[in-house]
Order: sequence, then structure tokens, then C-alpha cells
Amino acid sequence: MDRSRDIGPFVPGPDDDLLICRCEEVTKGEIRRAVHAGMWTMTEIRRFLRVGMGLCQGQSCTKLVKGIVARELGVSPATLDPETSRAPMRPTEMHVLGDEKKEA
Amino acid sequence: MERHDLIVVGAGPSGLSAAIEAAKCGLDVVVFDECARPGGQLFKQIHKFFGSKEHKAKIRGFRIGEELLKEASDAGVQVVLNATVLGLYQEKEVLVRIGDEIRHVKGDAILVATGASENTLAFPGWTLPGVIGAGAAQTMMNLHGVKPGERVLMLGSGNVGLVVSFQLLQAGCEVVALVDAAPRIGGYGVHAAKVARCGVPFYLSHTIVRAEGTDHVTGVVIGEVDKSWQIIPGTEKHFDVDTICVAVGLSPMSQLLTMAGCDMADDPKKGGYVPVCDETGATSVPGIFVSGDVSGIEEASSAMIEGRIAGIAAAKYLGYVEQAAEENEVHALETSLDALRQGMFAPKNRGKDLRETEEGCPISQNLLRKGYLSDEEVFAYPGVRKIAGVHPVIECTQNIPCNPCQDACPKGCITIGENITSLPVVNPDAQCIGCGMCVASCSGQAIFLVDEDAGADTATVTLPYEFLPLPKAGDKGQALSRSGAPLCEAEVAGVRSAPAFDHTNLLTIRVPKAYAMRARFFQPMEGGCAEWANQWTVPETSAPSFRGPMTIC
Amino acid sequence: MANTAETIIIGGGVIGCAAAYYLAKRGMSVIVLEKSDNIGSGGSSRNGGGVRQSGRDKRELPLAMYAIEHIWPTLSEELGMDVEYVKKGNLRLGKTEKHLEILSHLAEVGRSCGLDMRMIDGKEVRELNPYLSEEVIGASWCPTDGHANPLRTTLAFYVRARALGVRFITGEEVVALRKVKGKAREVVTKDGVFEGEHILLAAGYESRAIANTVGVDIPMSKKLLEALVTEAEPELFPQMLGTAEADFYGHQTKHGSFVFGGSSGMEGVNLDNHGRLATSSITAPCICRGIMKYVPKLSDAKIVRTWAGWEDQSVDGVPVISFVPEVPGLVLACGFSGHGFGISPAVGLMLSEMILDGAPSLDLSALRYDRFCAKI
Repeated sequence: MDRSRDIGPFVPGPDDDLLICRCEEVTKGEIRRAVHAGMWTMTEIRRFLRVGMGLCQGQSCTKLVKGIVARELGVSPATLDPETSRAPMRPTEMHVLGDEKKEA
Repeated sequence: MERHDLIVVGAGPSGLSAAIEAAKCGLDVVVFDECARPGGQLFKQIHKFFGSKEHKAKIRGFRIGEELLKEASDAGVQVVLNATVLGLYQEKEVLVRIGDEIRHVKGDAILVATGASENTLAFPGWTLPGVIGAGAAQTMMNLHGVKPGERVLMLGSGNVGLVVSFQLLQAGCEVVALVDAAPRIGGYGVHAAKVARCGVPFYLSHTIVRAEGTDHVTGVVIGEVDKSWQIIPGTEKHFDVDTICVAVGLSPMSQLLTMAGCDMADDPKKGGYVPVCDETGATSVPGIFVSGDVSGIEEASSAMIEGRIAGIAAAKYLGYVEQAAEENEVHALETSLDALRQGMFAPKNRGKDLRETEEGCPISQNLLRKGYLSDEEVFAYPGVRKIAGVHPVIECTQNIPCNPCQDACPKGCITIGENITSLPVVNPDAQCIGCGMCVASCSGQAIFLVDEDAGADTATVTLPYEFLPLPKAGDKGQALSRSGAPLCEAEVAGVRSAPAFDHTNLLTIRVPKAYAMRARFFQPMEGGCAEWANQWTVPETSAPSFRGPMTIC
Repeated sequence: MANTAETIIIGGGVIGCAAAYYLAKRGMSVIVLEKSDNIGSGGSSRNGGGVRQSGRDKRELPLAMYAIEHIWPTLSEELGMDVEYVKKGNLRLGKTEKHLEILSHLAEVGRSCGLDMRMIDGKEVRELNPYLSEEVIGASWCPTDGHANPLRTTLAFYVRARALGVRFITGEEVVALRKVKGKAREVVTKDGVFEGEHILLAAGYESRAIANTVGVDIPMSKKLLEALVTEAEPELFPQMLGTAEADFYGHQTKHGSFVFGGSSGMEGVNLDNHGRLATSSITAPCICRGIMKYVPKLSDAKIVRTWAGWEDQSVDGVPVISFVPEVPGLVLACGFSGHGFGISPAVGLMLSEMILDGAPSLDLSALRYDRFCAKI
């Protein structure tokens, strides 16, 4: 993917203040601006803005973010690969993750 | 290291079904579920399921859950609750959190049946307390006995939105509107009709403009959308609500499969990112299987069959069943699954604007846009006949996979035939005895017994009634039309409840003859005649309020 | 669009992005080719964010000291984006006498190069960071070390370079280099051929196979490392932490989460998941146990993610930053051995000087590609 492709200028939208990622408090406008700054994949958006990096790990907002990024890039959302899924699937306290049951 | 033949992740309908079949084939099966109770979403489903007998049609979801649990226990399946699978690693190893410790457990095969999570929709104010998922509302009402709110707006007209709207009414909430941005109702017409006749107005081609409130929802504004989903200025409508319920679809929870390195594909028809798998649920990683919503969003009925297929496939993979036996069983289940995937709502018809039923009847556009059939349209269907004496009137007008009514009638009044998506036909020559079994058997609450000439210029209408308190014979009230508009005075002629009806009470009301084919719901009079009279002045679309929670246990 | 530029950079990690930025800043046309779909896909987005001088080999220490003195403090301003640089010191912790010996040696090396680095006892350690356990009996202390956000730093270089006209192409896998008339000239990808006067190879471990296509070998191996991050916690301490055995390291980020890397001791023999990056089921629990011994207060912190990354481990543990005289036009920047992030801005700057001025302003001769030789 050639990142020099012209996707047009960033045009402010009336709903740019809309909160999209609740865990990390990222707005629609921030996501749209990030696309124009060059973040063209879900992974880059995530690393740039922390979207989907909070407690829910993107369970709530991934589809919303995908829709916004796809629209900004003028592509179908299905063409955007999702971020990598990583353990633990649920936030886990350090003392629990570190507490492995010893074999009897 | 702890090792099992099969580890099932998720004790919902699909996971349990898989575990049962695998255990029956002789596998040592363990099921991990992060919840404190098994059954996944089944125990929230207080409505009767569709399908045919083999699909457990007309049985309420939570009862199916109870049956599954018993079946699992009989088959020797070990279900470990409060057990969260944190990761699915190489060599089919899961890391599972149980209480405050973690365990490494390996499976010779793994079946992931983690289900789905609710989608969200962002609109101004969507983060206010009071904006909740429809599934969350169901959990509050049906598992915990908590009313989500007093006045609710439902966004989403798929089956989840429709079913939960009805359950909100049963719980005593007022549903002020059912809204969907699509131009047509997404779920079954019969589900829409039972909500509409309670007076809930439908706003298709509408979406939420904003939720109002500072620290919680106090109101909502909706507006009509144009073809590019933009709000048309001037179409905004305001409702005072304390709750906004969002039912805009589900997304497969497939993260474990991504982590395990299974080939994945983004398939909007399946609800999102799903593992690539064959018809038995086998993924690209040998020994890892999937079933249920995690492999594509469908109904619980299909999820259970998929689970059984995957359970047998896992048994075959581990050499517990012979190829031929596996093929036979899988084939039978696939036939059964295929029967559920037919009709107007079949995956292959998703998004299509069908105009006629398989029988060539016109599909009601009123039903698709407003949630109810017009008084004229209703006569276009083979379940609606004018017959002397008491007889069933079946307002089932879309091809959906369901046939319990056919078996329910002891007199052969109702025919569906081989194809379970066919519209039910009322046979004018058979003699209806007014037993009401068909009324109670209809999961869509679309069957009524009508006697158009019950003497003294009156008619009787027997309708399914799942609200409390239950009216008594002699109670006065008003009859409501299919759209929920008050039609006329009505008196309760009788109420029948029987174990065979499974909590669908049969309420017979007496109305003036002219309303026999229009009166489809009953609203009891509340607090004396004066107040009752006042209710005649409410606009046609406002919702009557129902009192008292419905409890089915 | 023409596939020609003055410089073709292979690898869109922090080194490639930084070099692209400094080259473009001085007016050079640059194309960056990245195999992955994402910028900063490798170690650039997976490391622990340490910006340290302490504990480094003498040969690369000048790069670290230069970066910390001249680049990091103003980098956010220069790139117009917060890279979350914090210069509050590095504590390298010891629990045993043997640990203290290792640390004392490292401190001596540092001091011999003019670095402010000294040994402190357990009491002083806990005065600097009261959350460290009593098990810690001493540490090396380098007050000018610190940490930054590697994700933001990599992407900031990318954003600025792109804004200066650098053409980035992701999903473009380089398969070979080709000499034309005795000079490195062509970069062959799966989809096409790119041409440049200069070719900068900064593709991590993958650099080895690409360099092989013009008869150059950099002795390095691939090592899988794992890390984890917690939910946001109240602010506890600002220092970068490490250990004498280099088995655990981490810090609290500006966001509040703690990022920790660590090892289970099985890294060299972990299943490689058919070449696909995957975490092992035993590493994260081991990192948790390790951290809790050093910072008991974190035992209730929730882990939200774990990840793995490949390290391009050169055989002598320091990178190759070098011209290749027999392949004129080729510049190598690889083998960073797990500690490239902290020096990346300086490396990017030096690479731009090598390409534009013919030589870097720091003496990097100890990092030449042809330094490797047999032991006898």
C-alpha cells in the first residue's frame, strides 16, 4: 500500500467530538485526523491513539473505529485487518497470572 | 499437564451441545465458561423458540438450557464455571483462570464456542448511563429481576430488538418507540406484530440524533434518514425516556482463534471477523473446531445443531467414531440445520427486498414498515379464513422455519407440510373445537381463535396473553387493534391457563361483531371508568402501560 | 509513480523512519519499503521503551550519549508529537553479591566513557524508589537515563517524514538487491523493482537474507522476546528499571500503564509456531512473578496484553552500522540486538550523514560489518 495515495484533505465534521473508544477516551475527530496523518491500518491507529488498548481491548469500539477509518480512506471496512488478539482475553491481576497451579 | 480429549470453551447452547455429542462418543470432555452459570444466553431467553420439534420449537429458551444441562450431566460432561480461558496457545494448550489461580490445560482437540458480543452505535450522548445493550437489558430483567428503566426507546428491529422490546413490556416498562435506520424491519414479522399490538410505534428509516441528559439519560431525539443515512432536517422527534436500548447486531468473539493462528476472514454476512472453517466447524488448525455465533451470527437453534456437528467431528478427528457413522450423523444434523436456514430470513436472502412468499402471497409492506398487518392485508394469507363458528386465525405471513401449530391441532385444522417454512393453511373443512392448543403453541403469538358470531351481535377473540396480573372473567377493558390503537370496549369472557400452554395464557374477550377481525389485544381497565375513559384520547401510537412483571420459572 | 529515489530504505521500523526523516529534512528524495502492512511492525513497536546509556557496550555507548544529550530532550518538539520522553534515571537492580559484581563492572565501563553512573545501596535505592522490595540490596544508578514511548516515537518519525514527502510503501517485501555497474542500485520486491543511488538496509533480522543477495553476511540470529502491559495505575515511579541479569525491565508510561519485558529462560528453545510470532503460555506468568518480587505493590495491577517480538541478535551484541566498500551505495543498519530503540534517533541522524556527507559525525568504525572473525 502506497502511503502517498491522496485521500483528500481533513475536513472537520460536526460529530468530531463524539467519544468512540470509551476506555481510552478517544474521539472520532482524533481517529479521523490520525488517518490523515498516515495511520492507515487498525494496528497503526491503535498504536498511535491507544484506541482499543484499554480494559475492554477493543471489544466495544473496534467496529466503530473500523468504520471511521474505512470511510476516511474510501475503502470497505472488511478490507481493514483487525488488530492482533492478545492474551489475556480478560484483564488479569499480576498475582493471579503469576499463580500457576502446581502439578500434584 | 492436565489433558482432555476435548476442551470446549463456552458453556452456551453451542458449546454444551458439542460437549454432549462428544461425550456420548466416549470423549473425556471439559467445558470452561467464564460465567457463574452455564447456558450462555439461553437462560435470558424467556420466549418460545421457533423451528420444528427436532429444533425444540415452542419450548422457551431457558427450558432448553435446563434440558441441555441435564443432558450434559447425564453424558458425563464436566462443566467448570467461573473459568476464564485467557489464551489459546500452541499445541492446543489453554491458560484458564479459575478463581485466583491459573491452570495450563491441554486438549487433543479444542472447540471454541465463545459466542458473540453486542455491537455499539456512537451518537451524541451514547456514553450516558441509561444507554444499554439489549442483551444487557435482558440480563437485568430475566436473570436478575431488575427493571432496566421505566420508559425505554429501542434501537434496532432485528429479532433481538423485537424480542427484548416485548420482554421490556412484560417487565412493566413502557417502550416509547422502536427505531431502525433500515427501511424495513429486520426481524420476524410475528415478533414485530406482538410488540406493535401493544401500542409501540415503529420508526423505520430513523436513527438516534442524540441522547439527552447530563448525568443520565432523560430523553432522546430521533430523526428520519435519507438514502445516504443522513438525518433529514426537520424530521426530529423527541421522547422523554430514561433508557435507550441498543440492539444493532452482534460481533463474533473470535479473539482466541486469531491468537491460535487460525485462518480468519472478515465476513459482514457472518457479523464480522470469523475463523475460516468447513461445514463441521474444523478450522485451519488441525484439532481446533468452532461452532455457534463465534463462527457466524445466527440463532441459538442453529448454534445448537452446529455444536452437535462439531462435537461429532471432534470425536471423528480423535478416532472415537468411524467415518461412516460420523457422516451419517453429521448428514442428519446438516439436514436439520438446513431446514432452519430456509425461508425469507435465510442467510442467502439477507438484505433482499422480497415481495412475495413462497406461496405467491404478497409480503405485507405494512408489517415490514410499521410492524403490523393492515385490516385488509390480513385476508391475503392461507391461515386467515372466514369460517362459521370458532376457528383459528393464523396471522403468519412470512416464510419462517416453524411448524408447531401443525402438530398442536388435534383436529387437523392446520397444515404446513414438509417444508417448515411454508405458511400455515387453515383447513375450512376440519372442525375446530376451540381447544386453543394452536394459540399457545405459536412462538410468534400469531394465532387467534375467533368466533365471529358469538350471539347478541358480539364476537369472541381468544388471544395469547403473557402479562401479569392476569385478567379475570368479567373484567372490563378495551380491545386494541393490530397497531395497538384502542378500538372498542371489551369484556373478558374467560381466561385459560394450562401446563400444556406453558405460561401462554389464553384470554378470550368479547367485542362487538364488527371488531372480530380487528381486535387483537386487550388492555385491562385501570383505576375506574373515568381514567379508562381518558385513555381514549391518547394518540394512536402511544403505548398503553402494562403493570407487573412477567415471571416464568 | 516512478520507483526511483535518491535513497531507498528497506524497513519501516524506527531506524528506517528516523533515517528517512533526517534525509528528507535535508531535501533528499526517499522511498521506504516495509514488508509488513504496518509501519513499525517489528521490534520498534514491541520493545520496552528504554532510553539508556548504562549497561551498554563501549562501542555503541557514544550513540546513546549523543542521543540523550542532543536529540531526545527536544524530539517531541522537533517532530510535533509527544514521544513521552522521560529523563529520570535508570536503576539496574541487584539481589545478590554476584549481581552487585556485574553491576559494578557495568558502572565502571560507563564511567570510563564519561557517563555519570554509580553504585548505590539498598537504602538509597528505596529512597529513589520506595516501591522496590527489600530483596533489592543494591543497584547501579544512571540519572541521565530514561524512557520514551516506542510506538509514538516510530510513528512520529513516520508522520514527519511522510509530511516531508517521503514515500512509504507497506506490504512491499524485498527479495533481493542487485548491483548495476558495480554499485548497489536496484531493490527487487515481490511486486517490482525500485532504484536508488543509496540503499539503506534496516530490516532487522530480515536484513541478513537481503544482504546475502549481494554476497554480504551479517552474523546474527533471531530471538523471541516477550513483554506485557498493565492497565493504567496511579503514578508510582519515574525511573526505568532493569536487573543485573537483564531478565526483567520496565517502566511506568505516561498513560499510567506499566510495560515490562522479561524472560522465562526458555526463549532459545520455545516452539517457534511455524515462524509465526506467538507468546508462550509460561512466559507472562513468569514475568509477573519476577516483577512482583521487585515491585510487590504491582501484584494487584491487571495485565491487559502480552506480546512477543523478534530481536535481531548480532553475534557480538552490538549493531552493524556500516558502509560496505565492496557494494558501494549500500548502507547497513541492523543487528541492534534488543537495544536499538534508545539510540534510534542518533542512528537515524548518523545514517543521514553517511548518505549525504559520506561519513557520520560520530566514530562508528567499531560497528563495521566486517568486524566479525573466528575466535582463534
